[in-house]
Amino acid sequence: MSDDPRHSPRARNGRAPDVFRPGRWVSMQQYADNEAVDFVIVGTGAGGGTLACKLAEYGFSVVALDAGPYFRPLEDFASDESEQTKLYWTDDRIVDGDNPLQLGSNNSGKAVGGSTVHFAMVSLRFRPEWFKARTKLGYGADWPIDWREMWAYYTEVEQALKISGPINYPWGPPRPRYPYRAHPLNAAARALARGCEAMGIAWTETPLATLSAPRGLAHPCVYRGFCVAGCSTNAKQSALVTWIPRALSAGAEIRDLAMVGRIETDENGLAVGVHYHRQDKWHFQKARNVVVAGYAIETPRLLLNSATDKFPDGLANSSGLVGKNLMAQANQAVWGVMEEEVRSYKGPPSLAITEHWNYADEGKDFFGGYCYMSQGPLPQLWAKTQASAHGLWGARLVEEMKRYNHAVGLKIVGEMLPQEKNRVTLDDEVDQYGIRIPRVTYSWCDNDKRLIDHSIGFMSRALTAAGAKDIWIQHDDTCHLNGTARMGSRPDNSVVNADCRSWDIPNLWVCDGSVFPTVGGANPSLTIQAIACRTADRIRSLARLGEIRF
Amino acid sequence: MLDAMRSDHARKQRAHGIARAGVREERSAPAQGRWSPTSRSLSGPDRQKADNVLAARQLNRAAGTLAASVLADSAVEHYRGSFKNKAMLTPIVVAGLTLAMSLHGTADKRPVAHNARDTSYLLAAGTGLLGTGFHIYNVTKKVGGFSWQNLFYGAPLGAPMAILLSGLLGFCSERLRANGPRRRPRVLSLPAGKTVATVAALGLLGTSGEAGLLHFRGAFHNPLMAIPVTLPPIGAGLLGATVAGSGECAHRATRWWMRLLVAMGFAGVGLHAYGISRNMGGWRNWSQNILDGPPLPAPPSFAGLALAGLAALELMREASDG
Amino acid sequence: MAERSSQRSRGSVYPGYDVLAKWNSPSWNDKTRDVISRRLAVANDPRFFTAEEFQSVTAMADRIVPQSASHSRIPVAALVDRKLQDGIFDGYRPAGMPRDGDAWRLGLHALDAEALSRHGSRFAEMAGPDQDALLRRCEAGGLHAPEWAGMPPSAFFKHRLLQDLVLAYYSHPAAWSEIGWGGPASPRGYVRLDFDDRDPWEAAEAKPGDELAALRINRHVR
Repeated sequence: MSDDPRHSPRARNGRAPDVFRPGRWVSMQQYADNEAVDFVIVGTGAGGGTLACKLAEYGFSVVALDAGPYFRPLEDFASDESEQTKLYWTDDRIVDGDNPLQLGSNNSGKAVGGSTVHFAMVSLRFRPEWFKARTKLGYGADWPIDWREMWAYYTEVEQALKISGPINYPWGPPRPRYPYRAHPLNAAARALARGCEAMGIAWTETPLATLSAPRGLAHPCVYRGFCVAGCSTNAKQSALVTWIPRALSAGAEIRDLAMVGRIETDENGLAVGVHYHRQDKWHFQKARNVVVAGYAIETPRLLLNSATDKFPDGLANSSGLVGKNLMAQANQAVWGVMEEEVRSYKGPPSLAITEHWNYADEGKDFFGGYCYMSQGPLPQLWAKTQASAHGLWGARLVEEMKRYNHAVGLKIVGEMLPQEKNRVTLDDEVDQYGIRIPRVTYSWCDNDKRLIDHSIGFMSRALTAAGAKDIWIQHDDTCHLNGTARMGSRPDNSVVNADCRSWDIPNLWVCDGSVFPTVGGANPSLTIQAIACRTADRIRSLARLGEIRF
Repeated sequence: MLDAMRSDHARKQRAHGIARAGVREERSAPAQGRWSPTSRSLSGPDRQKADNVLAARQLNRAAGTLAASVLADSAVEHYRGSFKNKAMLTPIVVAGLTLAMSLHGTADKRPVAHNARDTSYLLAAGTGLLGTGFHIYNVTKKVGGFSWQNLFYGAPLGAPMAILLSGLLGFCSERLRANGPRRRPRVLSLPAGKTVATVAALGLLGTSGEAGLLHFRGAFHNPLMAIPVTLPPIGAGLLGATVAGSGECAHRATRWWMRLLVAMGFAGVGLHAYGISRNMGGWRNWSQNILDGPPLPAPPSFAGLALAGLAALELMREASDG
Repeated sequence: MAERSSQRSRGSVYPGYDVLAKWNSPSWNDKTRDVISRRLAVANDPRFFTAEEFQSVTAMADRIVPQSASHSRIPVAALVDRKLQDGIFDGYRPAGMPRDGDAWRLGLHALDAEALSRHGSRFAEMAGPDQDALLRRCEAGGLHAPEWAGMPPSAFFKHRLLQDLVLAYYSHPAAWSEIGWGGPASPRGYVRLDFDDRDPWEAAEAKPGDELAALRINRHVR
């Protein structure tokens, strides 16, 4: 039997990998395929992993499936960018539109724990007004959830992940003390701070889901800088080392290398389970409820691929909105070179942040907001950026790369507006499982472009003020994917309700970034997890009221 | 790596040596001190002189313990700072000198102040003041200025105070020797016992504050991290109460509390060593974890101050006896 | 930028620095040693490409990431070859573009067709400046031979040719040493993070006029 977790599943025979001890195992409850579990969850990332934990802790029987492998970070992760592309979702996809997205790396994940295994750990709360973007700010759509309720769930997630953050957060309503203290700033972060002080705006240490002190068997961060290539220290508080161990000890079953191809529905229009591919065979897991948590491309793909005669346009799609309103986030950067050595490869890449333009409304010619953070690209990513975004190759590239240790940059996470034409559809080609692959169509709207221009102008001035020279702009990059199964207050304008429950199929749920009606200018992972915690609480309440059939 | 481990081992042995010397001193003290029959047989002024010298030597020992802690701590921390500024060598040289002088003083039974020791203690005190100034400058010049980030990770504001305290205690020790056979020993015309007790109490509070800041940085992730922010302030309070004048019972409680703090100071090294072992790579990754983990040499500064507290208690007791 | 860069061209910026000297240090763990051993063992021959294709890829690599004599030769073409052989793909492609391996084959044949029609020789046999000129045309999308079969030349250049060659070059320890990167870092990471801070296990940069100082330090970086 191969021990390569990419080729043979690890979570079986009543045990799952112990992520904290090389070569060791923890016991795991298992369910038979023909035993209808309370919840089968498709995906184990920020949405599915969190929900699996919470539902199992509430006493429901849970099976969570993930298409990716079950890693033990301490022994499976190399300090190597190429090797660690194994964390990405690189199944075939087609991109088009005016601004085709780059997929397959930062905005994808194929592992137990999903993309939280390689996310940059930036853990931001949304600005309260964003939950009523349409009513209060005049764009996008309102969320059917009140920000004060979200505030409580944010606190729960911050505690669960022992977020390291600043003592005082400069923006928004008061929030409780972060459980762990902020990390020391590296030079790249101090450059951001210098720029902000020169421009007269606030900055702070980025709240990060990586430990600044020991926690149980997890070590604190060693500032090795490979965060987005996977953390072999276990300092990163990914779903893999937080929610999922909790889920296992509460009795949930995790199935790795299990690709779900289709949700089965019966003649009553209810979901009855999922077809999944594992160890070269197709299986069918019976379930009383199905939760889709595959992120903004795989979630609509699965719903569309599960079409039946009764639901010819795909499941949960009476509104016609499944796959629509895909929202990436703008990820433009301004780069330069400092006289001093920066060596931004040390430490988490984004140790300092300013959310000024998320909270300030004056002086903007666009809707929405953006934050920007310091950067720490490793050599391959930096070379790729210099080649494809800066247009360097040949001797110019090789020479410019020798200034790697002096490079410094600022990069935004910027709000893009929901547009129905930005969407996920099915292509006629099929992947290795024989399932139709997604086609992802994306074009920026004028508002997106104005936001990008504003950010580039501002960051160029800030980086210059920080002392950087040879400034250049990285125009084309995006990060994070949301939308495509938006939540709302009515069945005709949304796919799910505030509880992430499908309007059309009452035992079908969607719990990931797909449900976002708007994305804001902040990394979405904390919000996805907060929504998952809320969904779990709502499911428990609804079950007690008898409003969920088991 | 082996070399460094060996030298690390050697450093520990040296630290043990100091501790052992202290213990020997404690045991041999009665032989010359006022409880021994021989001591009782001494005539009044001679006995008083011997008592003052004994207290002075205890203070030398306290100053030496503090200096040893500063020596090791500043060496590690300034190595971490790559000695970017040559002035960063100063505390190492001065703490080394102070340690040597304190060892000399601990062994010296003559009832007169010693010029070289005196000078070196004043130098230590001056270094402490100057160092504090340097560290404040370092913190304020960093972007963000006087912020939590720079308080946590910039030059530690409280650290240079330890060498200042070492100098002050040593200076008190020399003044004490210069008292000759005086019944109620004085330091610069202040009553010696109360002065030293006050210095020790303030030192305990300050050091506790520094431990508090750094343990807050570590989010008090281990409940034991609360110890150095609770026990020493209580000790400071007890010392304060004895200065204000309190009964034999309080004296005894304070003495036991000081002994507890001495033990805590050395036990802290063990706990910090455990903390280092919990970081990634444990001791194999010493070149990172000695610097990034909890500072090994820091906790014994509590022991140094508590030793000074013990000496102060003796002095106050003698003063009230007389 | 090119002018400034070439002004800075002064041989090795990190003289004597070798990431591999840290192989047995706490900066490298078993998994990393395993992965890098396999990479260093890659022979400079084709498995995925045909011999003729491999010749073209090698020629392109020399234009995209020209190698200096100061370090051992990085088998860029072979590294790309192994990646394609192992089926390690980007996971997305613009509409009209085949999957990674097929795109390479198609693009190489199309570029050879362009070379033959313009210069009468295959790409690998052209002079360097001519190769650069053809690559620049490809980058700008100014090639129209029927052999492209619907694949946009600029997309091929950006997503395959440029990206794969650059990533392959900078996946090699010799390239890491060249740019003064710290290299693999687990279990040991870094301690000194501020401006102009360097851990003893990081590369020292040669300051103009004092290259020897850096050389002396870098020889002892472990």
